[in-house]
Amino acid sequence: MDAKAIIDTLSSQFTGVIYDAQVESDIRILAKVKNENVKDICQYLKEELSFGHLCCELGVDHPERNEIEVVYVIGSYEHPVVLTLKAILPRDNPEIESVVPVYWNANWYERETYELFGVKYLNHPDLRPLVLPQDMLGEWPLRKDYKGFPNKTAKNLV
Amino acid sequence: MAEVEPVSTNNKDDMQEEIPGVMTTSTSAISDFLKKTKAQDLINWGRKNSLWFTVNAMGCCGVELLSTGMAHYDTDRFGIIPRNSPRHADVLIISGYVTKKYFPALKRIWDQMPAPKWVIAFGDCAISGGPFYESYSTRQNIDEVFPVDIYVPGCPPRCEALIQAFYELQKKIVAKKDKGTDY
Ligand code: SF4
Repeated sequence: MDAKAIIDTLSSQFTGVIYDAQVESDIRILAKVKNENVKDICQYLKEELSFGHLCCELGVDHPERNEIEVVYVIGSYEHPVVLTLKAILPRDNPEIESVVPVYWNANWYERETYELFGVKYLNHPDLRPLVLPQDMLGEWPLRKDYKGFPNKTAKNLV
Repeated sequence: MAEVEPVSTNNKDDMQEEIPGVMTTSTSAISDFLKKTKAQDLINWGRKNSLWFTVNAMGCCGVELLSTGMAHYDTDRFGIIPRNSPRHADVLIISGYVTKKYFPALKRIWDQMPAPKWVIAFGDCAISGGPFYESYSTRQNIDEVFPVDIYVPGCPPRCEALIQAFYELQKKIVAKKDKGTDY
């Protein structure tokens, strides 16, 4: 299937849930999804459309819009297409359903997005900080209003 | 990370156990006396020729640290041997950035090493933060925590630079200028 056919199938299956769908080029699709349905969409993508590879999952902070975007980049071994899905969450209480039951490798991506942006993943099997120490939880260092950056304590600078 | 309760082994009752034929003491009077005599030169000669180091590769500099210990650079010929347990080691090489999460572990490695022990700050990250000098997740100013004897600049420094660092450390030990012992 090419990009156009994939986005048509997806939009007809999930009318109203997928919006602002855009075919960016022959190999890239960009779409926004309602955040309650992310897991269902991923399930459908994996089982029906053979999008079996979650390449990455990340957060983007938009303080001016008071939003945090969670981005899913999903690839396929059968179609020459990479799909980018964006779910938009409110900045003060970002919560979204975990996709670990569908794509197991999302586990560490979600833990990292949690510790860096504070996105709470519901029903995640083990939501702990991944690379930051436990006591930095709550600082959310990659949010743009984070006060601890730049850290100016270093001496011995040349 | 769960903190381990420090167990004090320095109280008198523990130290004065009876070992047949052995006299035990809990003071450092003997080593303090030896420091004032010529015998210390002999002790230092022994120490400088067996600088065993811990293998804790921390940042990208750790790769240089590992290859220094391997066959190509062969530091064994100077008595500088990589040890996998901090309890066997004399030299702690801080090889790269110290993240806030790793810092407690590094501290514990340092506490486990038996004295006399020395520290080499290897790489720009250990000296000043290097490329990570403004980072939210790295611990800055490591030299305030550990008594660093030798600084090796570079990103990463070459293996030869580490061998040079050991050589400088040996010179410091012979000159009794190192921070590993109080003179
Ligand atoms: S000094 Fe350079 S090579 Fe060494 S740990 Fe830092 S960034 Fe890596």
